[in-house]
Amino acid sequence: MHSEETVDPSQVILWSDDYEGHDPISTRTFGFWMYVLSDGMLFATLFAAYGVLSYSHSYYTGPTPAQFVAPWYTFIQTMALFLSVLAYGFAMTALKNGNKAGVINAIIAAMVLGGVFIGLDIHDVLRMIRIGATPETSGGLSAFYALTQVHAAHIFVGLLWMLVMLYQILRQGFSEDVVGRLLSLRMFWQFQAVMWVFIYVFVYLWGYMS
Amino acid sequence: MSHGHSNPIHHPEVQMASRRNYLTGFVIASLLMFAATWLVSAQALAPFGLLLAIMGCAGFAVIAQVYFLLHIDISEHNIWNTVALVMFIPLFVITIGLTWWMFSQLYLRTMPMIPGMPGMH
Repeated sequence: MHSEETVDPSQVILWSDDYEGHDPISTRTFGFWMYVLSDGMLFATLFAAYGVLSYSHSYYTGPTPAQFVAPWYTFIQTMALFLSVLAYGFAMTALKNGNKAGVINAIIAAMVLGGVFIGLDIHDVLRMIRIGATPETSGGLSAFYALTQVHAAHIFVGLLWMLVMLYQILRQGFSEDVVGRLLSLRMFWQFQAVMWVFIYVFVYLWGYMS
Repeated sequence: MSHGHSNPIHHPEVQMASRRNYLTGFVIASLLMFAATWLVSAQALAPFGLLLAIMGCAGFAVIAQVYFLLHIDISEHNIWNTVALVMFIPLFVITIGLTWWMFSQLYLRTMPMIPGMPGMH
């Protein structure tokens, strides 16, 4: 049944007056999650490049991962990164309770542990260069360096971001912008640990055993 | 500022942080990485079994991290993040897998076996 009511265009209500608008924090974190996944695609291309350049002929007569990877050394790096992610998680639980000192301490702990990861990575690169495993030696090594060092660069950017967040927390407190950025940084930091699992197992460990 | 959330700390994305989940994710991922490292450094299995074992370790560690750390689940608040991830996984797998498969077939058919050069495997 159609009602034949006339609608007065100047009176009609198109949307509710109490519409609350988009939730800015959720909109931002969803957008940032899209970025994080596109970052995952960047890693996918590097994994693909490493995959096609990790045959034994890719290393030609130069060193192969079986000769330069030290599994337990890289395991310590793994633990530094996982602990850093855990520390950042504790920053989020402190944020949940509005505990500013807790957030700051946990972010500093996450930065120190992330710094340990970067320090171990640089030390490892210097060791590899000393034994002659430099990026220009072979296609396999170029792909190895590209993948592992792009990940290290992400960690470095994450550390800078944490430093900026410490400053913003001290200056602005837990404003909507600061809280939104802390949530985005949480996803970024945790995602680097997920990518590291793939790098550690499929590049370091698999390279070592083959 | 929206009218709904005057205090951003009360936002559900902040309130879903959980110390127990973060610890669980950390412990599971760490134990699996320890197991993978030990298996590889001790050469505990034959190469193919070893590869399957460390792939399993990586898979479960990633699932634990995605579930316990990144809060990817089917709750009302996170469902769209989960949907986006479900769309992302095939792209990730196809990008790596298809490239790798194509090049391995290409090598198999085109790479000459020069005496003295290291073999394909």
